[in-house]
Amino acid sequence: MHIEQLALENYRNYESLLVEFDNTVNVVIGENAQGKTNIIESIYVLAMAKSHRTSNDKDLIRWEAEYAKIKGRVQKKHQSLPIELVISKKGKKAKINHLEQTRLSQYIGNMNVVMFAPEDLTLVKGSPQVRRRFIDMEIGQVSPVYLHDLSLYHKVLQQRNHYLKQLQTKRASDFTVLDVLTEQLVELAMKVMKKRFEFIRLLQKWAGPLHSGISRGIETLAIVYEPAAGITEEQSDEQIRLALFAAYQKGRTREVDRGVTLTGPHRDDLLFYVNGKNIQTFGSQGQQRTTALAVKLAEIELIQSEIGEYPILLLDDVLSELDDYRQSHLLNTIHGKVQTFVTTTNTDGIEHDTLNAASAYSVTAGAITQIK
Amino acid sequence: MYYPEPITKLIDSFMKLPGIGPKTAARLAFFVLNMKEDDVLGFAKALVNAKRDLGYCSVCGHITDQDPCSICKDERRDRSIICVVQDPKDVIAMEKMKEYNGLYHVLHGAISPMEGIGPEDINVPDLIKRLQDETVKEVILATNPNIEGEATAMYISRLLKPSGIRTTRIAHGLPVGGDLEYADEVTLSKAIEGRREL
Repeated sequence: MHIEQLALENYRNYESLLVEFDNTVNVVIGENAQGKTNIIESIYVLAMAKSHRTSNDKDLIRWEAEYAKIKGRVQKKHQSLPIELVISKKGKKAKINHLEQTRLSQYIGNMNVVMFAPEDLTLVKGSPQVRRRFIDMEIGQVSPVYLHDLSLYHKVLQQRNHYLKQLQTKRASDFTVLDVLTEQLVELAMKVMKKRFEFIRLLQKWAGPLHSGISRGIETLAIVYEPAAGITEEQSDEQIRLALFAAYQKGRTREVDRGVTLTGPHRDDLLFYVNGKNIQTFGSQGQQRTTALAVKLAEIELIQSEIGEYPILLLDDVLSELDDYRQSHLLNTIHGKVQTFVTTTNTDGIEHDTLNAASAYSVTAGAITQIK
Repeated sequence: MYYPEPITKLIDSFMKLPGIGPKTAARLAFFVLNMKEDDVLGFAKALVNAKRDLGYCSVCGHITDQDPCSICKDERRDRSIICVVQDPKDVIAMEKMKEYNGLYHVLHGAISPMEGIGPEDINVPDLIKRLQDETVKEVILATNPNIEGEATAMYISRLLKPSGIRTTRIAHGLPVGGDLEYADEVTLSKAIEGRREL
């Protein structure tokens, strides 16, 4: 799929903008603080209804404006789809094909994007939270049911944490309520975990060969999802339920003491092994970068295999972070099949057929002009 | 203020009602000024009486002007089934169906630790008391199909387990008369989960 046209209104530093894009590679060139990333971010927000840079939606609204509007026309395999997202101080309104969507979980997934920004290089090394966010965002793009289960999980988690707090401070004493909340939590935790297992297995399938390609065949990547209570993918639903119940039963005193839920998908992590070594702790910078790149490229292939179309790739200032070899590996992979947006301060030193053939846009102080 | 005091007071009163903003309140207030005095008196009386004469049924918790309520008093109803709902409005909805002939129990809420609502804050202890005598054979849990309603249903079913009273939960899934294609993914997946043998 690709985005044909993008219109912005009061978005970040853009008062209004209307631009048509090429369906191959689009390079956005400009000095710092002119609004390059804002363009890429707006495409991401249009797809995911939230930003990768901020959790506060109000940041997206232009200074002193009431609302921000992003409109895009997305060309999919069989149709051209108008998508619209309005962000105001009161909340978000999403429209697909001019029809308002009541649930954001229904909206997300109509347009698929993969973002690769400098922060993503910390996917391997950063906190578990970064990796959980990554898993949740990616599964969410292909499975609305997952998004729903996950949001229910977090709701029950909140209820359970509140109740644990009340037990801790002796404002409540009914353990049947805790049992009920645990039962609800276990059911949703199981659904979330199973989807995550499935996703990691697919990701591994695509990332393995890509990683081996980038590392010139000398390294093998293994991605492992290790959820709470020692649960494995082979276990049946009943076994997973029992294992989780046992874990909560065992941790009950500690949970009541601390007043918070200590195990579950909200605490899970993802581990990366190269040649059998955990590279979160023992990997070199280079290995961590290669892994992050392989995972991102795998994501593109994974979305393609799930929905039958390549997603839109957003490369935010990331080319300069990669060495020549990894750069050309990235550009070769996307060549001719993935609509890509690249931001950069200048294209000097990046010599590649993919970029030479690309359309280029120059951005200065919230205005964009096509230069090639 | 642009209006004389009596009408300002009237506007303020209307604005206390849900869904009514300043413009609608002003429109209603001016309409009242043009109404016949008898009608206005009747209106005011109806308001006061509704508040004064209505209370909650001491048996089931439904709103009523007599205690126990007409449903609880009705000898023709099946006293072996109790349908547990969250809200008096849910009783009205069930009654409109005209197919259910048992009794009700209104909880006035659902368990939600976040809002500080525990089982003792909703009408659960009274329900347990009602079940002491032997007449009740089945309890239908018709709380809302969301997290809180589900937790409440699960909680009550746990309390009832030792008593051996049959406890059932209403089904959820596709609405009747709807088209499959219009159902959202989540409802559909619930419907698939709850599928049954034909």
